[in-house]
Parts: sequence; structure tokens; C-alpha cells
Amino acid sequence: MAVVLGEGLTKRFGKLTAVEDLSFALEAGTITGFLGPNGAGKTTTLRMLLGLAAPTSGSALIFDRPYAQLAGAARRVGAVLEATDFHPGRSGRDHLRTLSWAAELPDSRVDEVLGLVELTAAARRRVKGYSLGMRQRLGLASALLGDPELLVLDEPANGLDPEGVRWLRDFLRAFASDGRTVLVSSHVLAEVAQTVDQVLIVNKGRLVVETSLEQLTARVGGSVRVRSPQSDRLAEALRREGIETTVGNDRALLAHGATSQRVGEVAFAAGVPVYELVAEGSSLEDVFLELTTETAS
Amino acid sequence: MIAQTRAELLKLRSTRTTVGLVLGMLALVTLFGLLAGLLTHADDLITPENQRGLFGVGSLAGVFSALAGVLLVTGEYRFGTIRPTFLFTPRRSRVILAKLAAGMLAGLVFGVAGEGLAFAIGYVCLRARGIPLTLHGGSLALLLLGTVAGVALFGGIGAGVASIVRNQIGTIVGLLAWGFIVENLLFAFVPSVGRLTPGQAQNALTGLTTDHLLSPAAGGAVLVAWVAALALAGLALTARRDVG
Repeated sequence: MAVVLGEGLTKRFGKLTAVEDLSFALEAGTITGFLGPNGAGKTTTLRMLLGLAAPTSGSALIFDRPYAQLAGAARRVGAVLEATDFHPGRSGRDHLRTLSWAAELPDSRVDEVLGLVELTAAARRRVKGYSLGMRQRLGLASALLGDPELLVLDEPANGLDPEGVRWLRDFLRAFASDGRTVLVSSHVLAEVAQTVDQVLIVNKGRLVVETSLEQLTARVGGSVRVRSPQSDRLAEALRREGIETTVGNDRALLAHGATSQRVGEVAFAAGVPVYELVAEGSSLEDVFLELTTETAS
Repeated sequence: MIAQTRAELLKLRSTRTTVGLVLGMLALVTLFGLLAGLLTHADDLITPENQRGLFGVGSLAGVFSALAGVLLVTGEYRFGTIRPTFLFTPRRSRVILAKLAAGMLAGLVFGVAGEGLAFAIGYVCLRARGIPLTLHGGSLALLLLGTVAGVALFGGIGAGVASIVRNQIGTIVGLLAWGFIVENLLFAFVPSVGRLTPGQAQNALTGLTTDHLLSPAAGGAVLVAWVAALALAGLALTARRDVG
């Protein structure tokens, strides 16, 4: 059974299509990175999953039900959509109590989660005086109140210092090792690459790839970056030789699975001038950028 | 529902804004109570009508109780806490009903405090100036209870309007313009319609017998109907709209 199931999720705001025909399934015990550039439709998708926005078409199910029909939602799902969702004049502890009281959780649980995110000392101070990192942790504390089976976090690493990012990573790992499930969005692959089992990459509202991190890593191979004033002719010549190319984010051609020597020979034979020819082992980040810029062009 | 209402009341209690509202209400009631109690000529203050005005100063609390009801809803949209609120309680109707209930419960406290203070100030002023109490028994009881009930219902009206409008400034400006301008114009020029407005219904509920006003019972019923109508509209709109 999928913990989270999106089927043909689509959201339009007037003429703008924010999310288009998004389908995916998350299994229990996994950490999924929900990746894409800013504005790709990640937050809109999460809002639909969590019942805050109604899909234009398609459906979103959590534990086989629409979120709004989930009994005891706070005890099954913990979520943070914005790091700034606090009344500035209310103390961190009171913020959590307004939520825990609604879910009929004891105040002792409030103090537990405050300890868990290391905010006990600041608990009775007004949120106004919290740093962004402290607010992120307070948001996480609210998501953990109900000791949920599924955690949904939108850009949780924003505003965290490197130590905080590392703390979050260890925390999510421990959380998922109990068979619980995490969906975490980010616009920076590096933030989550060491944490997640699988990735959903979206761009312009569409799913670009749904794959395990291992398979994504396998895509990382050697490629040759070649810059030419006649990119199109060069790409055509390379294609005739069975060498695939893509346009990198700096407009240079990336020739895949070929050596720089081979690319240079093809360019010479085609009579195309070459300004730059660099062999590079691409990183995971390059694959991510490639995936999210390919569909953009 | 009870748990959600307790949570909503905690939201009110846990910010200083509410403390400010209570203090502002008490200060205003004290000011107007003293003005009426000390500056009205003794020959005037002996009439039951003027003693009604003196003891009825507590109805000012209705403005503050409506504001508390408004803040319960608009504060959540303004600061984004509506997101965690709906995440914890996905049944939005439960949240809105709890806010209406909390608004009216807070209004009840405002009403008891405001009207109690108004009565105390009025009574002390009369005693100190040796003016006998001419507003007796039933009229006085109706005034006190009607004012408290009206102030309490205004908390529900505030929460109801806010759940329709959502924007804080818009709701507050709209309510004040309605209460202080539109209602008075309506009542002055089209009294048959104006007497159905919440403010005039509250006046009727407290036993005021100006021309065209409804009976106390009808005034109370109209005020309750306003809360119910606004609540239904707020529930329907909140269920349908996306949360940003």
C-alpha cells in the first residue's frame, strides 16, 4: 500500500498551470526528495496532498484517503509548509499548545517535542525573537506533536546553518528507520542527496523523473563539454556519429559517452570551430540541472 | 469540538493583543460611565431613561468583543497559522464553528466585565450624588442581561464576518463603517429595515423602546439569526476556498 498516492494531479490558477498530471506513489519507510527549481509546483503539490488546496483534476490520497477525510490526521501526518507560520507575539510553547489542544494531545508531549528540537530554553519566549533556524525547528516540532507515521516538509533546510542541516539529515534518517515515511521538498539536490532513498523531480509543474537515488547516480557518467559558435551543426555531426548531446545550462553542448578526443575529431571532420573542449565527470548536481533545464528548453 | 474550542480560546489568551482589547474596553467603559455619571445634571439623571443610558455604557464592549472574534479568524490568515490549524483539524467546519463558539465565549466575558463595570460605576455615581435609583427591577435586569447577551453575540458576528472576508484590515474597517455609519443611516431613513441591523437589534434586546425598534425578544432573535447567517456563509466559503 502506498502511503502517499498522487494520481493525475493537476492545478490551474486561471490560465496558469502550476501542476500538470502529476502521478507518483511513496512507499512506507522511505525518504523521498521532492525536487525542482523554485516555482516548479512543489509547494502547490504539497498543498493538494495536505488538503489545503483542491486539485483542478486528479486525486491525492494519504493512507488511502483524501487528507481532509483522514481520521486523527495529526496523529498520522506531520507537515510543515512555511517556516514563518507563527503569530509573532505568541510563545513557541503556546503555539504548540494551540495545536496539541485541538488534537487532544497532552502538554507533556509539547515539552517532549520542544526538547527533541532543542528549543526548551526558548520555549516561553515570543516567536518574534526567534532566528529563522529556530522557527524551522519550531515548525518541525509542531509536525512531530502527534508522533506521525508520515512527515511532509517543504524546504526544511532553508535558513539552517550547516550544523542544522546535518542535524536534520540525521533526524530524518532515524525517523525513517522506524518504518516511517518522509517526503521532503528542496530546490537544492545537495541538501537532500545524502538523505533520500528516491527522488521525484518536477519542472514547470510536470514530473521529470521518479527514480531511486541509485539509479539517478548511475546516470552520472563522463561527458564532454564543447563550446562552438556553430552548436547546431556540431550537434548534428555528433548525432550522425551516434553521440548524444544536450545543451547545458551555460549553452555549451554536452556530449555524452564520448571522449574529448573523439568529439574533437568529429568537430574537425565537420569543419566546425571549437572554442572550448573539456572532459568532465558530471556530478549528481549536473544531472539534476540537466534534467530540469532539458524540459525548460 | 470542545477541544477545538479550548484551543481557539488559548489562541486568544496567548497574545497580548487580547489583553490590549480588554484593557481598552475597560478604559472606554470607565470613561463613558464617569462622563455620564458625573456630568449629567442631577435633574436629568433621575429619569429612568437617562439611568438606562448610564448603566447601558457596557454595550461599548460589543465593539471589542466583535474585534476579538475578528482576530480569531483574520489573525490566522494574516500570520499563516491557518495552515497548521487546518493540518491539525482538516475538517474546516469544526475550526470555524469552534472560532464562533470561542468568539461568543470571549464576548460573554467581555460583556460581563464591561457591563458589570458600567453598572458599578453608575451605581457609585448615583449613590455619591444622592440620586435615587429609578430604573427598577425588570427593566434593570433586562438591560444588564440583554447587554451581556448582545456583547457575547457580537463576538460571533465578528468571527462570522471575518471567516467570510479573511483580510484583517478589510474586516475591521468594514465592520466599523457598518456599525457606526451604515446602521445609523439605515435606521434614520429606513427604520423598518434599519431595526433589523445587529446594532439596533441589540438595542432592542436591552429593552430600549425608541420608536420603530423591535421588542426585546424579537431583537434577540434577529441578533441570533445574524450570527447563524454569517456562520453559514463563512462555513460554506471556508470549505470551498484554497488556503494559500
